[in-house]
Amino acid sequence: MDELTIHDDGSGTLKYAINLSSSRVKVNSILALDSLDGKKVPSIEEIKTKVSLFKKTLILQNGISNISISENYTDFIFKFECDFTSIDLLQEGLRKSFSIISNEKTISESNFSWLSWDSKVLERSVPSIATNKLNGITENDLSLLKTGTYTSITRFDRGVERFDNPLSKLSKDKKALMLRADTYTLKEKPSLLENTIYLIPN
Amino acid sequence: MQLKKIIFLSFISISTFLSAQKSETLIPKDAVTVFSINNINLLQKISIDELISYEFMEEIHQELFDGSTSGKTLKDAGLDFDQRFNIFYGKLDKCELSGFTFGIKNKQQLFSVFDDFEVIAYPNLNDAQVYQSFFNNLIIKDGAALLIRVEPSMESIDQVTDSIWYARGNENPYDYYEEVNEDVLNEEIYDENTQVENSFPDATLDPNEKNYNELRDSVQLVLQREQLDKILIQLFVQNDNLILLDPRFEAQLTHPVEGIFYMDNARNIDKSSGLWYFQTVLPSLYKNIQELYAGNLILGDLLLKDKSVEFAIEVLYGEKLGSIYTEMNSSQFDKQVLKYIPESSTAYFTYNINLRKAYEKAFEVIMPLLEQEKNAQIAMNVLTIELLNEFVNKDALFGTYKGSMFGSFNGIKKIKTKKIEFFYDEETFEYGEKEAEAEEDMPIFTVGFSIERNDIPEKVLKHLGRLTSKVKNMGNYWCFENAIFDSAPLYMINKNGLFIFTNDQDLALNHALGYGSKSINNVKFKNAKKSGFMYANLDVKTTLNRFPKDLLSPKQNEMIESLRGKSGSLELRSSKTTKEKTSLNLTYSFSGIEQSGKHLLDLINTIYVVSK
Repeated sequence: MDELTIHDDGSGTLKYAINLSSSRVKVNSILALDSLDGKKVPSIEEIKTKVSLFKKTLILQNGISNISISENYTDFIFKFECDFTSIDLLQEGLRKSFSIISNEKTISESNFSWLSWDSKVLERSVPSIATNKLNGITENDLSLLKTGTYTSITRFDRGVERFDNPLSKLSKDKKALMLRADTYTLKEKPSLLENTIYLIPN
Repeated sequence: MQLKKIIFLSFISISTFLSAQKSETLIPKDAVTVFSINNINLLQKISIDELISYEFMEEIHQELFDGSTSGKTLKDAGLDFDQRFNIFYGKLDKCELSGFTFGIKNKQQLFSVFDDFEVIAYPNLNDAQVYQSFFNNLIIKDGAALLIRVEPSMESIDQVTDSIWYARGNENPYDYYEEVNEDVLNEEIYDENTQVENSFPDATLDPNEKNYNELRDSVQLVLQREQLDKILIQLFVQNDNLILLDPRFEAQLTHPVEGIFYMDNARNIDKSSGLWYFQTVLPSLYKNIQELYAGNLILGDLLLKDKSVEFAIEVLYGEKLGSIYTEMNSSQFDKQVLKYIPESSTAYFTYNINLRKAYEKAFEVIMPLLEQEKNAQIAMNVLTIELLNEFVNKDALFGTYKGSMFGSFNGIKKIKTKKIEFFYDEETFEYGEKEAEAEEDMPIFTVGFSIERNDIPEKVLKHLGRLTSKVKNMGNYWCFENAIFDSAPLYMINKNGLFIFTNDQDLALNHALGYGSKSINNVKFKNAKKSGFMYANLDVKTTLNRFPKDLLSPKQNEMIESLRGKSGSLELRSSKTTKEKTSLNLTYSFSGIEQSGKHLLDLINTIYVVSK
């Protein structure tokens, strides 16, 4: 689930949550292994270290503040939240931080650019780094994706005039949009969550 | 006329037998594991593409298989199907060797399929011709070929390289790694690391002088050549090979079966790097361990029948180890266990040993070996063991855990778990969280142990129940909530002289006293009972194809993968254990019209994965 709030001045808040609680048995059984499909399975301690490094790295990035990460290793729910001064600084800060923690020096800007904002129109999609990860899921596990959902919420200070994605739902006060899809369909069609949102002029 | 016919047939068989001896005489004496396929006619129609998809082919000589081998069969490669096809592996102190030996009918065809080989000059090897392709070496002599690869161990390469490197007055080639700051917290440090991490030691100023990695590559080549020379001289000049080294291997080759298996565990122990501590610090104890393992050998026959492949295994050992095994396996079969294996079970095993007798014999055999050792630490350990032996109540200990056990896999069932759901206000899209019921697939296992003192686990569970509300006495069984992966309950049944752990709610709730008429049928019952210390039965299709690989270790997964997609059943039986040997019989029964050769390879592959 992601929730993006964008204020009129371009600053805002990003919330991101991963909820694996309905797969507790599977996640726990994978964590009990040394490796799976030829890849090392990290221990909980190693995951905690990575999360901590991510947080420390992100704190140092320009335009990003109030970072909060909560980790629940019983239900496997992870929540991330941060404030940003501009969309561009948010994307750049996240790209650099992910590059460092993933040791993938080749994460290009295009792979990490999923938002564009000009104070009237917001264009959003799903970062290709996320959809690329979905492509790596093996055939056996694909059916499990059908039981998962992805929810994307976008909030503004002022009302939404119109939007391109017909699957979007507008809130009662017209200041928020929600899009929901199952993770399997999202893997098959990453453009499902793409949207261009036009705001009522000031 | 009849006599003439017999003489003629005998002549034919003798000449076939003699020509069939060629390829196996090229197996180096350092080979400790050998698969020898006698009836390789079975493999004629199997494509090389299919052959190299097996694990036992994957590890060796991969570079040989390219465009020129694609779509070809072994027949296209000019192999002589009247000779054996032998696969071998061996480990020496400083290197590993692996390869094949086989007969060649048409050399031209062989080189048209394996077209990367180039002939190389080699000191006189009694007319043997040597060809090379990358790290693979092909040696041909008199219609038989040896394809061999020698890999020096990393330790030996490093040792020699370091020795030369430092003797030349060089400094640590990797010094700069120490300067890398691991706390990568800002962009500047991160960028510096990007440049450093993938670097190799710098090239030297003098282009004729090698840097560390270049030197290491050269050392590797020299060590490879040195070991290869040694092996080839043994084989082609001294005419020394595994057949001459071990008459037991020679005898095994004479068996009229489709294939044989040979694994010299005593030599495996000898070369085991895990025992370096004993070798260097406690040499006399190491010698004793060697003596204990002397004669430890596994021999196997592969037999192809109409609808099954059988693998008859003999595990041989020395007298001392044999005396422990004999005592260990002198146990009465516990019939109670079969009550708890349902007829619907797709995989189950019984393991029947007497741990107390094994302990007493092991104490008698091993303690004198340890007592001879003058090392202070060993002496303290001996004292501790002696005192424990005196003070511990062995009746209670071995009454609680006798050693016999059983296990069964009863399919995949949905189990109830809890999940956290995110829910959304339909007007504001504000969200909250709530706990909800969930279902997840879980393989259902049951493992049970024979027990005399069932009062002891009862005591433990009673006290655990007072410590935590998660452990509950449910009358016929105990329930430990969220014990499995912090999500699913574990049930414990303490009945009928058995202590059973299971995640099968149906077994705990409805069959705590056994499945009765729903337990395995009489035929299966008798098969398990008649078998020696071990019996296992597995329906390949319904078990392995559904088995969740997330729950197994990589090695176990390799074994499962080697059988996944197949049908049929596997049955493992053991014989009575004697002081010299234990026999095991693995039968892979199949239905359908698949090629027999493929089934044979499937089984070889599974055995390879298990034994490597």
